[in-house]
Amino acid sequence: MSERIDPVTGEPASISYVNVHKSFGTQHVLRGLNLAIPRGKITVIIGRSGTGKSVTIKHVMGLLRPDKGEIWVGNDNLATMRDRDLRTVRNRFGVVFQDAALFDSMNVLDNVAFPLREHSRLRDREVVAKVRGLLAQVGLAGAELKLPSQLSGGMRKRAGLARALVRDPEFVLYDEPTTGLDPILTAAMDKLIVDTQESRPGITSVVISHDMHAVLGIADKIAMLVDGVVAHEGTPEYFKNSKDPLVHQFLTGSLDGPMKV
Amino acid sequence: MIVRAIEAIGRMFVEPMEELGRVTHIGGRGLLNLFIPPIRIRHTIAQLEFIGVQSLPIIILTSFFTGGVFTLQSFKAFQLFGAQGLVGGTVGVALTRELAPTLTGLLVAGRAGSAMAAEIGAMRVSEQIDALDAMAIDPINYLVKPRIIAATLAAPLLTAVFDLIGIFGSYVVAIYTLRMSYPDFMIRLDDWVDWDDIWGGLFKAAVFGLIIGVVACYKGFYTKGGAVGVGKSTTSSVVVSSVMILVSNYFIARYILP
Ligand SMILES: Nc1ncnc2c1ncn2[C@@H]1O[C@H](COP(=O)(O)OP(=O)(O)O)[C@@H](O)[C@H]1O
Ligand SMILES: [Mg+2]
Repeated sequence: MSERIDPVTGEPASISYVNVHKSFGTQHVLRGLNLAIPRGKITVIIGRSGTGKSVTIKHVMGLLRPDKGEIWVGNDNLATMRDRDLRTVRNRFGVVFQDAALFDSMNVLDNVAFPLREHSRLRDREVVAKVRGLLAQVGLAGAELKLPSQLSGGMRKRAGLARALVRDPEFVLYDEPTTGLDPILTAAMDKLIVDTQESRPGITSVVISHDMHAVLGIADKIAMLVDGVVAHEGTPEYFKNSKDPLVHQFLTGSLDGPMKV
Repeated sequence: MIVRAIEAIGRMFVEPMEELGRVTHIGGRGLLNLFIPPIRIRHTIAQLEFIGVQSLPIIILTSFFTGGVFTLQSFKAFQLFGAQGLVGGTVGVALTRELAPTLTGLLVAGRAGSAMAAEIGAMRVSEQIDALDAMAIDPINYLVKPRIIAATLAAPLLTAVFDLIGIFGSYVVAIYTLRMSYPDFMIRLDDWVDWDDIWGGLFKAAVFGLIIGVVACYKGFYTKGGAVGVGKSTTSSVVVSSVMILVSNYFIARYILP
């Protein structure tokens, strides 16, 4: 497949969705999704709750399979890939799940160390050193021995980020990293996402959010998901200046507009 | 209208078939993973401790009183025609062949199977299973295999304990409550209970353990719908595995170990 260029940023697309459809039973969630994720940038996918944002990112790691369409990660089409090969693709990703999805039975250190202990041949001393470094980076130094149930929502998400980063992935996916956080913690998480991006050259970030304001400051590209397709895409500037009633409604959080509750 | 009716009838057949397919999938891949590294010895031992060691108190208590009450009741009946001497043997055979494996199976399903279904179900609804997949760790290998192996091993071990303590309970009641003589109690027990009865009971228990492990993991793995869904999976794991234990027990008694 020839390299696609993301029209918004002009960067090569490291992930691209081509006409992707996905239904659950009779519910048609993705309805011909086309989306390019530019390499080395932060892309934000925005949309209302239940529009299929999580479903969209679960496709990119093969956690879900499309009913129709193609999903390219580099030169691999995940739609036709065998399960065994999907595993190698997954090794290139780090995911921060919506509620962090930390393992309840393990403390923070073991949670973050888990992917390394499973997959690498590093000695445990090296694993622990790396994990401690990462925990310090995300502001969790000192919380190593706490259980997930003893952490606040914000701390859990940061631990989830540390776990996502521990194997130095090419892609970091964030599923609603700021949902449920207060404004100050939201700002801190946003900064963490930007810092993560800047301190790791070449990394590609995809952030899911339903809060337009929260993402204007961090996004290189925003794609707005409506009814299973990308209805609008552009830079934050484009969205700020857009006269489109749909975008306007989303920006202002107004009840009047084309979207009904 | 007619299409709807046909669809509804179709679903009646499709859904159980799909369910059967998924159970076979979980069980089959769980067993296949026996040969796929990593072996997960530590997880298996942890599960053995949970399913086996931690079930010991309830197994000991239940078996002692089961042996005791069964002795009490059969003594009454046998006494009517002066055949008290048959009590030991009767209790021994009933315990080793039927009561010990079946009651152990039901207790393990209630105590450990429910907990396994709840734990895996909670991991499903909080995306921990997706997280495993995302980290390229096969959740079947990591979660399901150790539990299936541990349940299959723990059930016969617990059944052996049930046999021993059950007979001990019977002995205590026979000797100290019913004032039977030691030889009276022991002769038929020794005569009637063969190693075949004991091994057969343990074999059945292993089958029950496998059922408990597969059903609990399956119910947990396909949990949907938050905390309510976890509750449903837990309940239905106990119901389904208990019914399957009782039904398979009949068929094993009828066709495999007549
Ligand atoms: N595994 C699944 N099985 C059935 N339905 C699903 C599944 N995953 C998501 N859905 C449905 O797809 C829709 C989109 O879900 P999701 O992507 O989680 O929304 P959001 O945009 O809030 O992240 C929802 O209506 C949800 O119920
Ligand atoms: Mg979501």
